[in-house]
Amino acid sequence: MEATFDSLLLGFSVALRPDVLLYAFMGCLVGTLVGMLPGIGPLAGISILLPVTFGLDATKAIVMLAGIYYGSQYGGSTTSILMRIPGEAASVMTCIDGYAMTQKGRGGAALCIAAVGSFVAGTFGVIMLTLVAPPLGTFALGFGPPEFTALLVLGLVFLAYMSATSLVRTLLMASIGLLLGMVGIDVMTGHFRWAFDIPELGDGLGIVPVAVGLFGLGEILSTPSRSVTTKVVSPKLSELLPNRAEWRAAAAPIGRGSVLGFVIGIVPGSAHIISSFLSYALERRLSKTPEEFGKGAVAGVAGPESANNAASTGAFVPMLALGLPTGPVTAVLMAALLIHGIPPGPQLVTEHPDVFWGFVASMYVGNVMLLALNLPLVGLFVSVLRIPYSYLYPLIVMFCIVGVYEVNHSIVDVWIMLAMGVFGWVLRKFDFDPAPLVLGLVIAPILEMSLRQSLVMSNGHWGIFVQRPIAAVLIAICAGLLVLSAVSMLRRRNDWRARLAAEEAGDAA
Amino acid sequence: MKVRRDVVAGLAVLAGGAALWASSGDLPVGSLAMPGAGMMPMIAIALVMVFGAVLVFRGTAGPRLAADHWSDADHALRVIVATAVATFLYTRLGFLITMSLLLFGLVGLVERRRVLPAALFSLGVALATWLLFGMVLKAPLPPAPVWS
Repeated sequence: MEATFDSLLLGFSVALRPDVLLYAFMGCLVGTLVGMLPGIGPLAGISILLPVTFGLDATKAIVMLAGIYYGSQYGGSTTSILMRIPGEAASVMTCIDGYAMTQKGRGGAALCIAAVGSFVAGTFGVIMLTLVAPPLGTFALGFGPPEFTALLVLGLVFLAYMSATSLVRTLLMASIGLLLGMVGIDVMTGHFRWAFDIPELGDGLGIVPVAVGLFGLGEILSTPSRSVTTKVVSPKLSELLPNRAEWRAAAAPIGRGSVLGFVIGIVPGSAHIISSFLSYALERRLSKTPEEFGKGAVAGVAGPESANNAASTGAFVPMLALGLPTGPVTAVLMAALLIHGIPPGPQLVTEHPDVFWGFVASMYVGNVMLLALNLPLVGLFVSVLRIPYSYLYPLIVMFCIVGVYEVNHSIVDVWIMLAMGVFGWVLRKFDFDPAPLVLGLVIAPILEMSLRQSLVMSNGHWGIFVQRPIAAVLIAICAGLLVLSAVSMLRRRNDWRARLAAEEAGDAA
Repeated sequence: MKVRRDVVAGLAVLAGGAALWASSGDLPVGSLAMPGAGMMPMIAIALVMVFGAVLVFRGTAGPRLAADHWSDADHALRVIVATAVATFLYTRLGFLITMSLLLFGLVGLVERRRVLPAALFSLGVALATWLLFGMVLKAPLPPAPVWS
């Protein structure tokens, strides 16, 4: 514990440097805007701004990009509460009671509860990250190729199991992602795979063009400008403070949301989205007045907002400690670290303590910044939403092109981004979630390498995955999850994931 | 005949998987003890095709492919064409000219906003972005041919 405290002090000495503080502030500011604006989520925001970090050192880069991620969770609540527009998918549940509170004239109080809940949950998440990630990383140092293979397969299966859409659809998307991740030169034999005589494809498909295409351009193609309304309600500063009864009603949901969100955040999947749905369902079930939900219940804002913030912090645990991305956002953040020559994983804490602890400490600072930014400046942020969408989305298209081109100065990457944008639009039309595809793309090289190394180690015997204890446990969990999913599918039972999906569809409509 | 959404999607996946399998014939699969460059791609293609087949099988009772679901295709197509033209011109005409044209094309032509505000917006934003990226962040943006 003392060593952890000393390391955290080292982290604060990095995070409180003026230049690192500046980039943390920029990340939080951009993240708040990204979370508020419809048509651009944290993934697109991080992907588009990734090339801007190339000139920075790894610490500043990851501090800024992570600031965008958790800042977007704060920003997403503003439009949900004031306009019933979820700027970000995780804020869908906040729309219901947040907007109802606004209609009752308590929009300011809802914003304050959401911001304080996000702050408490974010800080709780960082404390847990501080305590959990280093020992987990030490434990993972004993992992060999079979354990990593089993871990990555478990990640994919967990993602499919937790997904609100069907298991088959999620696994199909992840498999297409794996395929895309195999384009280019095979690192073990030097063979070109599906490069079609295009030299730029030799290095494979970059995560940035794919992610920006699927989530940036794809989202714009799916959002016709006529469908975006910009009726803005801006609360006065004096209306921001909740009354005593509202504070009391928010306290326990904030606590429960923080714990629930962090635990779900560690699990692969769209954790911050799932956690807000589960938190809402939990609060409604525990409430003595469940009939208030949907009509402006304070717990319906406090719980989901706390949960999605704690989950976005929890998602950093497997990314930093195991080098395992649990979702597309952490996958892009992992790519950012790799671009700066720092592989996330068990060695990160020991080999790059300044990056790891600087990043962790910056999250404490970032949460304070976000609280200070989001409450007094809410009126200013809301005014950004007055920009007509027909002027806003051309800007995003421009930044998509510039951002993707700047990664490798390759126009082929921009064409890939465009193709992926069209693909993302078609996927949405057929009700596919593109997030597992990005996850598959990122883990494909690691999965392939560890699988082939495992088979070489065992002289071609698949038994290696059940002979080693850790791998065997992970594979057993995979099998258990698949059996549970199959049973649920065969019984055609409306389980909790289907109910969440139905609820989401109902609210989106 | 009712065309089902998941059946169409599953058949497209199956066709894509088959085409990819056919084009991967030259990749060495190797053996289990020494896997080649083609082994993992073949496993991934097989998975894609299996899930595609399940989608077709289960999709016969799924929702229909509704025409009104594609009502935004017209707008999407215009944005795609504008982005494709901008991508083609980007390294040929440079950042400033291409992005001014792209912004004007989207705001003025696709969104049918008034010409003068659209033109001023396009030029102003392209110039501001060029100053931000090119000057402040020192990101090398493609120059216009007259300056190169």
